[in-house]
Amino acid sequence: MHSLIKIADNKNVFIVNDIYEFIDPKNIYIPILKSSSFNKNTYIYKNTYFNDFIASASGFISGSKKFFLYNQLIPCLKITNDFKENVHKNTRIKKVNNIDELKQVLLKYKLNNIYDKLSNNPDNIIVTCVDEEAYSAREFMCLSKNYDEILQTMDYLSKIIKINNLYLAIKSTNAKSIKNVKSIIGTYPNIKTVLLPDKYLISYKDNICEFLNVKANSIVLTTNEVYDIYQSVIKGKEIVEKLITISGDGIAKSYVIRVKLGTALKEVVDKFIEFNTDNYEVYVNGYLQGEKAQSIDELLITKDTDTFIINEKSTLKEEECINCGACFKICPFDINVKKCYFENRQSLKCIRCGLCNYICPAHLNLKKVVGGQNEK
Amino acid sequence: MKSKSTKSLVLEMSFLLIPLILYGIFKNGYLVYEKGLISFYVVFKVFYLILIALSIKFIFDLIFKHKIIIDYDLLYVILIAMIMPYNINLIVYTITFLITYIITTLLEKKFTFNKVCLIYLIIILINSLFTKFTFLNILDERFSYNFSFFDLLMGRVVGGIASTSIFFTLLAYLYLIYNFYYKKDIPLFINLAYLSLAFIYYLITKNNELLLNSEVIFASVFICPLPKYSPYKPGRAILYGLFIGILTFLLTFIDKYIAIYLATFSISLLLNIKLKTKKNV
Repeated sequence: MHSLIKIADNKNVFIVNDIYEFIDPKNIYIPILKSSSFNKNTYIYKNTYFNDFIASASGFISGSKKFFLYNQLIPCLKITNDFKENVHKNTRIKKVNNIDELKQVLLKYKLNNIYDKLSNNPDNIIVTCVDEEAYSAREFMCLSKNYDEILQTMDYLSKIIKINNLYLAIKSTNAKSIKNVKSIIGTYPNIKTVLLPDKYLISYKDNICEFLNVKANSIVLTTNEVYDIYQSVIKGKEIVEKLITISGDGIAKSYVIRVKLGTALKEVVDKFIEFNTDNYEVYVNGYLQGEKAQSIDELLITKDTDTFIINEKSTLKEEECINCGACFKICPFDINVKKCYFENRQSLKCIRCGLCNYICPAHLNLKKVVGGQNEK
Repeated sequence: MKSKSTKSLVLEMSFLLIPLILYGIFKNGYLVYEKGLISFYVVFKVFYLILIALSIKFIFDLIFKHKIIIDYDLLYVILIAMIMPYNINLIVYTITFLITYIITTLLEKKFTFNKVCLIYLIIILINSLFTKFTFLNILDERFSYNFSFFDLLMGRVVGGIASTSIFFTLLAYLYLIYNFYYKKDIPLFINLAYLSLAFIYYLITKNNELLLNSEVIFASVFICPLPKYSPYKPGRAILYGLFIGILTFLLTFIDKYIAIYLATFSISLLLNIKLKTKKNV
């Protein structure tokens, strides 16, 4: 395993140790990726799918607005929430007997990211409660609040996939999660609890398998993903809500909030966030792994966005490279980051972890060039 | 781990040089003054050298960049001042420094070479035309001492005006080992190569004067690993260190004190030519 590092804590970031809820937005927005026409005042039922996006509330279409998604401005349908939660038809729970049926159910609920992780004939299931991003706490909060459901789902998965090697990996610094899990873990003797060091990228599949000394043919899921499986496969509910973290040193307190998919970030921010400064910048999906956004007004909460970092605007400017080689030294995949950057070349090995940007003393945006638009 | 900016890296390195500068004042200032060989103002000669160097850098910044910048050039000029011989003529130093600094800084945009070494070598060359070429201070020239190994380690050896303290250099190196940005392999392999050859030479000739060379230790810790002029890949850094160590040993037969600077400059130039050729291919 490449030597992992601990990201320095920002003493100005204080995360409130609870999950807040914002499940009654005035409007929800649905991205329209393919050109199609919708009549204003059309009634939209909750749980209606528009390609991969779901209507998380019911109401009438009242217009459209553009949001910044997938590195471009995308038009979205605006649905004014009538707060009735009307659904067209209730889904029935289908009994799942094997991994193939499980995969089908996951596809039905558009949980493609989990579907992709389910390999055939795995040796282990590893569930990680690790927030890789330094100022995120959604995985930790998810386990703290739903530890019973998560352990139950892990047990359920082991029966369907027919494996007994179940690991629940918790960061050694998460005392609350450890305490909660310890109180109930005796009910599930097949689940092994392991403590992970507080190092960046420890929950990355290769790293965690090596740390646990298990074969790479393992399924590595996050606690939020397991909770999604619980909601969809066990409870038969559509995934219309998710946990997000709004954090950073530009705000007084950082929150983990349960929100509806398709909620405009601005609405959540207006309700919860108290700014420390007017001069701030926003990062979507984390400070290290995410991208800087133009403004809060353009940001939408989708299943692909989970951590919003609001930091005081940095005064640091890009300087001349000093050839220190720190980017190469820190890269977990030994990419010659400096070379790629100056040759304006993307590296296919890059997982956009952001360590090169973090370590660069010249503040160069190396990740943007070397990582390109690679998906993690 | 906390990331650092270029400015903080430069300031950190500069702070590490303070004990060496103070020791330089003690050795080449106070001790000579104590014997009544120089006036009180000459005690702080190393300060004047640094002040002149910094003034040239800041004036250059103001003219060409319109503001004073804390970058690696700040460290370079301090290092150049520290490795000057004691008998450097201040007028020759100022004029030569000014001209070579401007030329090398402008040339640097097109070529990569160890600027510190080049400026130093040019100043030494020009200075030797006006004054006697020696690294001895007045005290070393007039008296002959029988120093203990500890004295020598503390810095009572002959060398640059503020670069002789092996003890403080090694302390700085111990600190720098834990600096993520520092290329710690380079000093290690320079000294490994140099000391191995010097030891073999000692075994053959029974001449031990090459073994304790403060200039090699100082330059290997502060000048050879300067990020801009040295490779960062582990294998290349080791080779770079070994080549400098070997070349330094060979060049010590020309002059013991400038050998490391000549070797570092040559290797950094060769490295640049090699990289340029590779790019053209």
